[in-house]
Amino acid sequence: MNKFIKMFCLLGVLGISAPALAAEEDEGALESYNRAMFTFNSVADYYVIKPVAKGYRAVTTEFIRERVHDFFENLKEPASMINHSLQGNFSDSGNSLGRFAINSTLGLLGTFDVASGWGLTKNKTGFDKTMASWCVPDGPFIMLPFLGPSTPRATVGWAADTASDPLYWAKYYTHFGQDWERYTFYYGLTALGFVSLREENIELLDNLTANSVDPYATIKAAYIQNRLKLNACADPNADEQANSYDFDFDEDFDE
Amino acid sequence: MKMKKIFAVLLSAFLMFTSEARADIDASKAEQFIKNVTQEGIEELINSDVSEAEKKARFTKLFNSDLDLDFIGKFVLGRYWRTATPKQRDEFIDVYRKLNIQTWSERFNEFKGKHFEFLGTEKANSKANDQVYVNTQVPMQEGAPASVKWRVKDTNGKLQIVDIIIENVSLAITAQKEYTSYIQKSPNGIDGLIKDLKAKLK
Repeated sequence: MNKFIKMFCLLGVLGISAPALAAEEDEGALESYNRAMFTFNSVADYYVIKPVAKGYRAVTTEFIRERVHDFFENLKEPASMINHSLQGNFSDSGNSLGRFAINSTLGLLGTFDVASGWGLTKNKTGFDKTMASWCVPDGPFIMLPFLGPSTPRATVGWAADTASDPLYWAKYYTHFGQDWERYTFYYGLTALGFVSLREENIELLDNLTANSVDPYATIKAAYIQNRLKLNACADPNADEQANSYDFDFDEDFDE
Repeated sequence: MKMKKIFAVLLSAFLMFTSEARADIDASKAEQFIKNVTQEGIEELINSDVSEAEKKARFTKLFNSDLDLDFIGKFVLGRYWRTATPKQRDEFIDVYRKLNIQTWSERFNEFKGKHFEFLGTEKANSKANDQVYVNTQVPMQEGAPASVKWRVKDTNGKLQIVDIIIENVSLAITAQKEYTSYIQKSPNGIDGLIKDLKAKLK
């Protein structure tokens, strides 16, 4: 529980220090750090993560990859269940609970999404979205090591969701083998989830880096715009504002 | 005499009304236009069995006729459009067009086997009222459908796409951030950008 308390303290600090509700566009001094971290991530990706993801694709069939994907998606249902409740959507919360119960058992530990076939369709949410609904400011755009584009609120949300993942707790509350064996097993699983996610995005990221002259700027711009969807609480017109750029420049630009 | 006056007033009112109506983009026509683009252009093209070369050729044709890349190119260069020479402008638009065709002929494969659902239209900010959003969504294998918004502009009766917004991410805004950020950092300015964009073409 100690970890939760720390998290909420951190949240308080971020809430006070972040001046704007939406992720800020002007990074100022943060930009050189962010760009350095982006370079670090790109190098790590090029030499280690992407080759591993491609290796994973080479040794598995699409069927296997879908099972792995469904397994990790199922582990996110408890986080969705908790956060739908925190957002006041109790029927969605029940939906997540039902999905988790059915898929964990009949769906063979979540590897098959049988609940969707029964009308319980996937509806993911997380603590980041909960905080957005509580009007917690997003803070500036930050590039995290290995995890990529984020904001302080997204980072806290990610940490909270990780703590709602059954795998996180299974490390401490299951008893088999030696401690190190158990830890190796669970950290191995976490790594597999990461590789699986990277594998799903091979083409998208290849396309992006191949066609962009400044991939950092492209990723940042796309990430910030996409996040504006979450900030509906801050401004009921946020969605509209995101795209209300002025296209009427003919007269000014052609002079 | 009186009748003539009334007639004149009515006529001028009618003319005012029609000329104003002509300036405004017709939302239902815009929606029909996007229906044609997504059905003939994207769904049928991606799912057809023609060769890759033929696909690329048809996609290029679609892109050139249905996207106003002169307009988008101007927007994405942002404030640098103003300082660019006519030669730089032409070169930029040309390479931007080619790069977009390359990027999107690959990216549209993501929509393979998928179909667009139409959710109506929405007014887009434009001084001349010549632009409108056509809202669509694409049901995905899992989770919520992906939202795809098309910004359509009416240029003297010709409808063209000026932006595509996928999951709240605008193609035009993202490109503008990329290019202005690049120019700011590049010692060779717009020429450096054009050179690097050309190098991206396969």
